[in-house]
Amino acid sequence: MLEIHNLSKIYGEGENKVKALDNVSFSIEHGEFVLIVGSSGSGKSTLLNMIGLLDHPTNGKIFIDGTDTTTLLDDKISSFRNKKLGFIFQFSNLLSDLSVLENVLLPRQIAGTNGSAEKDARDLLRAVGLDDQIDKRANKISGGQAQRVAIARGLINKPSIVLADEPTGNLDSVTSETIVQLMKSMARKLNHTFIIVTHDRQHFSDVDRVITIKDGRAFEGDQPSEMEVLA
Amino acid sequence: MEYRLRLAKRMLFNKKGSLIGAVLAVTIGILVIHVNFVIFQGLFDAIVRDISDYRNGDILVTDEADYIDKSDLSIVSWFERIPYVEAATPRLSSSAEMNMTKNGKLIEETRIPLVGIDPFRDVRASTVHETVSEGTYVFSRNSIVLGSNVAKDLGGAEVGDSVKVLVVDRWGEDQIRRFTVSGIAKSPGGQGFDYTAVVHIDTLRDMMNRPGDTGSFMVKLSDPSKAFEVKEFFLQSFPNDDFLAETIEESAEEQLAGFRSGIAMINMIGYFGMMSSAFAIVTIQMMLVNGKTREIGVMRAIGAKRKDILIIFIFQGMIIGAIGAGVGTAVGLGYTFYAKETKMSFNNSLPLEVSYNWEKIIQTALTSFALAIMASLYPSYRATKLLPVEAMRTV
Repeated sequence: MLEIHNLSKIYGEGENKVKALDNVSFSIEHGEFVLIVGSSGSGKSTLLNMIGLLDHPTNGKIFIDGTDTTTLLDDKISSFRNKKLGFIFQFSNLLSDLSVLENVLLPRQIAGTNGSAEKDARDLLRAVGLDDQIDKRANKISGGQAQRVAIARGLINKPSIVLADEPTGNLDSVTSETIVQLMKSMARKLNHTFIIVTHDRQHFSDVDRVITIKDGRAFEGDQPSEMEVLA
Repeated sequence: MEYRLRLAKRMLFNKKGSLIGAVLAVTIGILVIHVNFVIFQGLFDAIVRDISDYRNGDILVTDEADYIDKSDLSIVSWFERIPYVEAATPRLSSSAEMNMTKNGKLIEETRIPLVGIDPFRDVRASTVHETVSEGTYVFSRNSIVLGSNVAKDLGGAEVGDSVKVLVVDRWGEDQIRRFTVSGIAKSPGGQGFDYTAVVHIDTLRDMMNRPGDTGSFMVKLSDPSKAFEVKEFFLQSFPNDDFLAETIEESAEEQLAGFRSGIAMINMIGYFGMMSSAFAIVTIQMMLVNGKTREIGVMRAIGAKRKDILIIFIFQGMIIGAIGAGVGTAVGLGYTFYAKETKMSFNNSLPLEVSYNWEKIIQTALTSFALAIMASLYPSYRATKLLPVEAMRTV
């Protein structure tokens, strides 16, 4: 499903060189609900950007469903992101010019496969509890509702992996709990792989795996005594 | 609807200020072209119209070397049997000295153009008689119509005054006649006989000692577009005469050449104005792209290709161009309609000859539409260059 081999990312040159990721390797199986944790600046978002093909690694390989994504060219990367990956961002990042329904439909329209798109989008919005908000402009709904729309948008193309970058980072505690439960139930229901980057460990108590990023290196688990280096 | 077009539309219509600014830029660019056309082409066409109506007709027939010695009747009848011809009239020109006594003071003027006309035929072929603002047009052998400037130069000649006219005849002898002023001619814009005196053609023939001679024939057509055809037919019909027949474009070319190049220059200035509106579109669209950086990053992240982003912003250029071209053309046509209906003129000068040049109107609209699209290319290209991960960091 997802295999990462010797992944490194170095920013800057010469004396200003910063190693954001240092020889990281691990794999994630289909249907796993994985948490990537780490302190601020540890490299966890960099890792997520690499997996999401939003940034290029300095070294190493990333295989998703058997495809070496580090060799793909720009247009192929876009298509790959569109079809195989779903994104949930910290600030939901909905397009304010579109309605809730149109936001959810957008990845499907980009893919150009409109067949049952509207029905699927409505089903997803029902599943996240927003079927009564579909015609509202995206900037007219609350932060929690926007994050639910972002989840629906991330799932519309039935991606292999859903990547969430601090999905509760901008929400209050109650709403965060709701969003986490929603993601878990969607993951179970649709059998999708979820990779979530967060420093909000408390809301994600029951997950399949935890990977800790520390100083650019990856460790299995999040208890220092049990941590196993992933390299 | 195609999602890229819908997004382009929404992004643009949700930024009403930018949309209005960009549309205004296109509208003003088109309006400048329309106003230039109405004023300068209208002025040009008005001058052509007046030269045609007052002096040259649609076709002007002269003799290459001398006076025309064929009878008025034969030439006029020849022309008037052609269905396209409305009327034809003979004219004879000379130069005269004039004097009159006004308030006990003798005033003399020299080198005044003198035109002899046939009062019955001239009113059908020319509109000079309509410029007689006081009194009546030439109606008898001893009546004279003075141009308003000639009347002024003669100390304020009025209808009913007596004027002495001296013409040198073909043998070099002075021929003097006394005329009664029957009217004063004043044309809007001064293209008529404001600097000329008009007498009966037979009187002038007598004075010049040229019985039966004619200087020119002015031919007015019911369909001016047939001028060339009629002219050619005339020349072919009189192969053994030294006739020179010219359409209005040919006979007035000397007077119009400078004006024509002036219009070309003004049009060029108009097109430069349109180019500057394209720069305004570039600026406004750059602002739109900057304002949507985060959204562009999100779209790229969820799978939009660079070409999708390019198309969205080019669609915006097309929307701006289409609305701007539509509004600009509508406003321009409104101005043209107003100018035409009110017979627009400036400072009581000659009324503009306003026409709807549909070819030019469509060409201007299409050019501005194309320019708006071209102007959107650079901002669109810049939008495609944004990296998703960096674009999404923009707040």
